[in-house]
Amino acid sequence: MGRDKAWLPWRDRPLVAHVVEILRQVVGEVIVVASKDHGLPPLAACVVRDRAPGLGPLAGIREGLAHLRGDLAFVCATDAPFITPRYVEAMLAFGCAAAPDVDGYVQTLSAVYPKAALEHAEALILAGRMRPLFLLEALHYRRVPARELPDLQSLRGFNTPDEYLKAVREEDEHAVATLEFLGRARLAMGCRTLEVPVGTLAEVLSRAHPTLELLEGERVARPFLVSIEARAFVRDASIPVGPGEHVIVMDASVGG
Amino acid sequence: MYGFHGRYARFDLTTGRQEILPLPESVLRRHLGGVGLGAWLLHREAPPRVDPLSPEAPLIFCFSPLVGTPLTTSAKLAVVGKSPLTGFVSDGLSGSHFAIAGKRSGVDAIVLVGRCAQPSELVNGALRPTSLWGCSAREAAEALAPHGRVAAIGVAGENGVRFATISNDGRHAGRGGLGAVMGAKRLKALVVDGEQVTPVADPERVARLARELSRRSLGPETAKYRELGTVANLMAFNRIAALPTRNFQSGSFAGAEALAAEDLQSARERARSTCASCTIGCTHIYGFNRTDRTRIEYENLFALGSLCGVSDADAVLAASRRCDELGLDTVSAGGTIAFAMECGERGYLPEAPRFGDGAGLLALLDDIAQRRGLGDLLAEGSRRAAIQVGRGSLDFAPQVKGLEIPGYEPRALQTMALGFAVGTRGADHNRSGAYELDFSDRVDRLHGDARAAQLALETEDRAALIDSLILCKFLRGVFEDFYADTAELLQAVVGWDVSAAELQGIARRIVSLRKSFNIREGWKPEDDALPERFLSESLPDGTADGARLTRECLQEMIRSYNLARGWTERGYLSASVLADLAVDSQPVGI
Repeated sequence: MGRDKAWLPWRDRPLVAHVVEILRQVVGEVIVVASKDHGLPPLAACVVRDRAPGLGPLAGIREGLAHLRGDLAFVCATDAPFITPRYVEAMLAFGCAAAPDVDGYVQTLSAVYPKAALEHAEALILAGRMRPLFLLEALHYRRVPARELPDLQSLRGFNTPDEYLKAVREEDEHAVATLEFLGRARLAMGCRTLEVPVGTLAEVLSRAHPTLELLEGERVARPFLVSIEARAFVRDASIPVGPGEHVIVMDASVGG
Repeated sequence: MYGFHGRYARFDLTTGRQEILPLPESVLRRHLGGVGLGAWLLHREAPPRVDPLSPEAPLIFCFSPLVGTPLTTSAKLAVVGKSPLTGFVSDGLSGSHFAIAGKRSGVDAIVLVGRCAQPSELVNGALRPTSLWGCSAREAAEALAPHGRVAAIGVAGENGVRFATISNDGRHAGRGGLGAVMGAKRLKALVVDGEQVTPVADPERVARLARELSRRSLGPETAKYRELGTVANLMAFNRIAALPTRNFQSGSFAGAEALAAEDLQSARERARSTCASCTIGCTHIYGFNRTDRTRIEYENLFALGSLCGVSDADAVLAASRRCDELGLDTVSAGGTIAFAMECGERGYLPEAPRFGDGAGLLALLDDIAQRRGLGDLLAEGSRRAAIQVGRGSLDFAPQVKGLEIPGYEPRALQTMALGFAVGTRGADHNRSGAYELDFSDRVDRLHGDARAAQLALETEDRAALIDSLILCKFLRGVFEDFYADTAELLQAVVGWDVSAAELQGIARRIVSLRKSFNIREGWKPEDDALPERFLSESLPDGTADGARLTRECLQEMIRSYNLARGWTERGYLSASVLADLAVDSQPVGI
């Protein structure tokens, strides 16, 4: 995707916030596990920081279970834009470790883990066996055929800018982002902002006046800096820009 | 010898005696000119632990191998000394005809020691009483212009304001208060002239390289400086919540639009000018108050504008010009006044103006320069003022090592926070370009990362080299391979078979040399720190809402930086680094 999926705009909020809101419709306690420095939008959830970043999703599950007050947890990744309350309810209804089987593949990050899985997770991490599937196997989990589950779109994610942008356009064919100009770009454009259709960053920047030459191939041209929502600066112009996002264009020479 | 004279002049203002001392090629090749040679001379000329305002403290005007060549932006000099603000090394650069004339006087550096018996001017080696005491630096320069090129102090320097500047051609060696050092020597002006041109090793190659560098200097990498100047930073920094506002209480300023370069351009009379021998022309001059005009830079605009909460553009432009006339460093002036404004709001300094009071700001500049009333306290800089005020105010005095922080909010630009903390001059955006990383896709600017220490260090090394050659740092984007390209320039001018790797080694040596001076003068690891505010208060606004720099993160970045430099974990110089410095006066303190 080329950018942090947690912040991708989806249904009027960052994707991670959307997933939290869906989960909150089903459960009373939502825990978000993130690495130490991972910036997150404001969330109606308990945010815990991964003590052992870089160890993969099993370490994240371990961290979440350690903070869990209840007995059973539904675990999913941030990248779950189409998840529904009905699907989560159905999975939790099994009341034990359970994961869907889609065409022979076990979906370990759309699955149910009991609080008791914590000690198994610790042991697996110590043994260097880092796949969540090992944890499910240790728990003698229930492998649920996908056909037995409602709302299977819940398992769908965004893997590429095209997939994301296609989904965005399906939701709103007139979705727009805003180009915001500072410095020389403002002088050249003669305006402060410009509304443009969502697209890849390259597509969005190409809506500015061509004399600005904001692009060098698939990269932002060196004399300029581009930031989405004034957070990180980006050079890769193949990343997607979502609905409502502000793409800020400024001069690269910031020294003074 | 090409590119150098191989000697420097040492003038004792107490006795009137001038000596010409040799600068061996081995020394020049290891330190070049500008800040590098200046640091070497400072080691040699400054007695350990010297009071910077005492007669014994040297004040060094250092030229460089490229001065006098047709290479664009090369007409620059470094003024070097021990800062009365920080007690550590200070070096200010400016681009002016003074640099060209100074080198043509037949030396690579001029060292001033001693103290004149009465206010004086030193005109082409002749010391004489001056009638210009009390004049602005510009008035002094105009009066002395028939005799040569002039470096002069304003009233602030005369009165020992610890952030007074030395002015030449309307440009200022600004940071660190070396104008007060000159004032303490009772020297109003230094005038230089001469005809001793240093030959270059390969004139045709120099001419070709100069044409190419000029061509590149007019390309897109410098377009911002030509079209808008550094003031364009203001709205960009404001948008990402990195614009220091109301004494660093927030990172964005509601009144920023009123100061925006994009709008100043269209609403006011405007002109451009350049330093001597420069093709970029970054200096933008704006009209204000109907009939007045002043140059304006981002640092003036932020320090006298958002930092003091002033959004009246006329007031900010007037304050900027007043700083130039009085000979005040705008960053330190704005920072110290913003500190006083916060003290005023807290009831610690009831007589201080409040944030947003442009007229009060303007009046206080004169009080500082004249050391009147509250101005006398503020003339000491924010750190000393905070120590006097007490009540925990040191926590929000906007300084590092005593030098006021320039216009880069450290919590929103956390690699720059490292650059500020370890800077040998104090909080410094000129000797470290760590902010370049924050404005890139290479780091997360809101989460400091020790892995960025190496990258931050590299920006410092590049600055050390460019400030020793000397070229304008606004050229840095035009080089395709910085060390290889600058090696080629040096080869053509000086004739040395110098490689990119050798220049990298020189750059690192210069940084360590400055650090070794600081250690000798009493630096301790705890001096590499930021004020408590930045470690205990989160930014409250904009996209940096909640951004905080943790103490642990900063310390880990500093530790990584020290180790990457080959220093000890705590920042002392290792034996191998010390051996390479080979300075006469060895630093102490491991």
